[in-house]
Amino acid sequence: MPTAVEKKRKVRINGCVASAQAAKYADVDVVTAYPIRPYTATMMAIAQMVANGELDAEYIVADSEHSQLSIAHGASSSGARVFTGSSGVGVQFAYELYSPISGSRMPVQMMIADRTLDPPGDFGSEHTDALSTRDMGWLMGWACDAQEAFDNHLMAYRIGEDRRVLLPQMVCQDGFFVSHITCDVELPDTGQVKEFLPPYKHPYPLDPRHPVSHGPQIMPEQGPPLQLERARAMEGSMAVIEEVHDEFARVFGRRYDPWVEEFMTDGAEVVFFIQGGHAVTARHAIRHMRDRGAKVGMVRLRTIRPYPTDRVQEVLSKFKVVGVIETNMGLGSASSGGSLYAEVCASLYESAQRPLVVSFMAGMGGEAIVLKEFYWMTQKMLEAQKRGKIEKRTHWVGFEE
Amino acid sequence: MSTKGTHIPDWLKVPFAGITPAPTQEKGQDLFPTGNWRAIRPVYRDKMPPCNNACGTNEKIQGYLDLVKRGKYLDAYALIKEDMPFPSVTGRVCYHPCEQACNRGQYDEAISIRAVERFLGDLGQALPHDVVKPGKPNGKKVAVVGSGPAGHSAAYQLARLGYAVTIFEKSPKAGGLNRGGIPDWVLPQKVLDREIERLIELGVTIKTNTEVGKDVTWDELKKNYDACVLAVGLIDSRGVGAEGENKAGVIYGLPFLRDIGMGTSKVKLGRKVAVIGGGNTAIDCAREALRQGAEEVTMITVEGNADEMPCMAEDLHDMLEEGVQLLHGRAVTAVLGNGKIDALQLHPARFSGAINASPITIDKQAAAEKFQAENVIIAVGQSASLGWLPAEFKNERGLLKIDRFGRLGNTNFFAAGDVVQVGSGQPLMVVNAVGDGKRVAFNLDKVLRAEPLQPRTIPLDVITDLNRMNMTYFPHFARVQQAMLPPTSRKRTQDEVIQALSEHQAVEEANRCFSCGTCNACDNCYLVCPEPCIVRPERSNGLYKILVNYCKGCRVCIEECPTGCLEGVPELDFDTGVTRMDTAFAISPGLHGRQAAELANLADRPAKQI
Repeated sequence: MPTAVEKKRKVRINGCVASAQAAKYADVDVVTAYPIRPYTATMMAIAQMVANGELDAEYIVADSEHSQLSIAHGASSSGARVFTGSSGVGVQFAYELYSPISGSRMPVQMMIADRTLDPPGDFGSEHTDALSTRDMGWLMGWACDAQEAFDNHLMAYRIGEDRRVLLPQMVCQDGFFVSHITCDVELPDTGQVKEFLPPYKHPYPLDPRHPVSHGPQIMPEQGPPLQLERARAMEGSMAVIEEVHDEFARVFGRRYDPWVEEFMTDGAEVVFFIQGGHAVTARHAIRHMRDRGAKVGMVRLRTIRPYPTDRVQEVLSKFKVVGVIETNMGLGSASSGGSLYAEVCASLYESAQRPLVVSFMAGMGGEAIVLKEFYWMTQKMLEAQKRGKIEKRTHWVGFEE
Repeated sequence: MSTKGTHIPDWLKVPFAGITPAPTQEKGQDLFPTGNWRAIRPVYRDKMPPCNNACGTNEKIQGYLDLVKRGKYLDAYALIKEDMPFPSVTGRVCYHPCEQACNRGQYDEAISIRAVERFLGDLGQALPHDVVKPGKPNGKKVAVVGSGPAGHSAAYQLARLGYAVTIFEKSPKAGGLNRGGIPDWVLPQKVLDREIERLIELGVTIKTNTEVGKDVTWDELKKNYDACVLAVGLIDSRGVGAEGENKAGVIYGLPFLRDIGMGTSKVKLGRKVAVIGGGNTAIDCAREALRQGAEEVTMITVEGNADEMPCMAEDLHDMLEEGVQLLHGRAVTAVLGNGKIDALQLHPARFSGAINASPITIDKQAAAEKFQAENVIIAVGQSASLGWLPAEFKNERGLLKIDRFGRLGNTNFFAAGDVVQVGSGQPLMVVNAVGDGKRVAFNLDKVLRAEPLQPRTIPLDVITDLNRMNMTYFPHFARVQQAMLPPTSRKRTQDEVIQALSEHQAVEEANRCFSCGTCNACDNCYLVCPEPCIVRPERSNGLYKILVNYCKGCRVCIEECPTGCLEGVPELDFDTGVTRMDTAFAISPGLHGRQAAELANLADRPAKQI
């Protein structure tokens, strides 16, 4: 499509600005903001766009994240395309709103630049903030770089606003590792975005000319059918997600697997199972170790909600050992480590060829996972493969020999 | 796929995301019957407005003011006519206890109810045919003795009930006190004539110049009629017991007014006239005296000051405006003069007990005063003339012996009006006589139909006061004043002193009505209800409905009801009308309701099938 791609250009921006650019390209109607590092940079960028006329949107600075999400909810109910975001404890403060927003089937989009939850005031990236809301009915997935973040925002709007779905989306990226590291991002032509992303139209918006009641009180027995319908929407989104990724590839020329990215898994016997920006380091580590004969690869989860159970089972069953890099807290959980382990194990339970699964507590508190640590983790997986048995379910990386 | 193979049964189908269609005024929020959350239910209950209660014949005053507000004058006239045969008369002469009771009086100024009544009465007068029709003839005959307010009222109500009514009137013209006791400049005779025509149109026969005891006897009444109402009034004038009271030039109040009213007056007043008495008749006499040519009229009262006089303050004011003088704390002890009156001898006097209602103590030791006068009009009250009445129906004071229903023993004779009410504490006023006539007519009807009698024609009810109302909704607004003839020009004329309200003024005045305790279809409840739990097919009292299946009992409508008609009634007082839940939360067609239905049927089934 020569005319449509005419004005696309490559810029060097960080993840936060990429998200802001995505909001601009999606031509959002309402932006609700409340500052917290590291996602604040996104809102700063959008504020500039609104101020200089690049983006025609209602920019509302709320008095807290709770209000921020409440306003987003109301704005979306009225039929606006809404962009909001937060980090760390800010995500937690708005917790009350997550279920109502998805329950009322409002496709609010929330950008997350991860930040470790307190205590004490740690601002490094850790996925616990967004992951703690993973069962609230929001579509959710992590990008590993600024380009992917940009692309995910556009795709999430298209998926969430689809009449078959109508669910909110958390478009996540690691704080700092993605949000504050610049890389080359290809910005599309607006014509491409217009072609890909139709205007948002909720079937029953709040409109004085056609009044409806949103979120009325219901009787307990009316809860189950509504929950079932929300579950249907979440499950039903899987087909839409796949469709949209195909459509994205057609319009923009970049193809992502909607569920998992497999990196050097051909012939691999042990693999990392990972989300987000640390995958970039992992790729380097894996290349290095492959050069030295270790049959290691990586499976990067791109969409955790809806969780692609069957796909994860299919992919991971090919390997002997899976090492789950958590980057999140699941204190007292199944693995007594993070929360990803349980999801991986659950998806493998029905597999005829179950690999061993071990969990690594790495990248906690926003600490980088360095190459040396990937080597160490690979070593642990290879030992387990050799032994045919894991040493223990969870390793605290950097704290063990 | 966990949702594969799931289906939602029809009876649990919910709209997308619970987004419900706009609640309509017919249906409310169909899906979510929240009525069982309610502890207090709003209930429309019209209570007694103080005006209706104070009115001697319990006119539905709030009701007709409300109709006037809406321009429904004919309906208003029809409503007033239920209780009042001649609103054109009471609209002029009534002492309007309604206005004294009017809650608006405590807020700014009472509603000018009498003026609106007159507006409606005059409207009725102008109609070619009255809205009131006689009842279906029941073949029974009733005699009414006396055509004054009580007799007129009784005859009117009886005719509406289907009785053949004959009125016996001693005077040459019908009207009784309405004609004989009220001057033309208060009540023009043509107004009264028209009302009497209306009574005749109802089928009532009026025999004038027919005096009971003389032209028609007790036994004839008893023999020729199924029942009889005695409404003979108080026709004998009381004297003051002064020396020389029988002198020419001494006139008694009621005969003075009556003769002028009947057109048979031969009185020619001198320049200086004294009127004895402090009541309404005395005031009418004093003002009439001016119109009959007197130049200087003085009212001599036993009452120590004007405030104690048992009269309507506004009439007293109008009289003083016309130039009548007052002399208080005196009694006439002698009428002086040779053949004709020269002067009155006065002594200081006071009531020995309660003012207006106890014997008079005259201080004869004090020096006598001489008061120059050529005529004296004595207006200190009347008494009954009951010579024709069989002794068995008289009490120890020589008055009628009746029970609380107005009935003479076990006979079909009833009595009504001043002749009954004298000494009862009830002011002897037109409207009270009308009310008495109405009550007696209804009781008479009950006796003839062998139904139990009722002492009251209206139920006992809460009288709405300002505390029950929400005054935020009522701006202060001054009373519309009726125009009056200027005092100087009215002194020598029989023209009406008080002028009628225009249509615009009548509506403006009716608009001031609070509708105390009564729904006046203001729509406030309909508008303030946070949910559409209040519906109405149209804006009208009695047509607002609370959707009890949805109303949560938030009380907003109750608190915001301007008139205090809406009340909160504890839900426990009701056993109908709410969707009762089988369990704490379930609605009847739902899951728990079904389970409850199944459980209820369990016992009927043989054990093996369970």
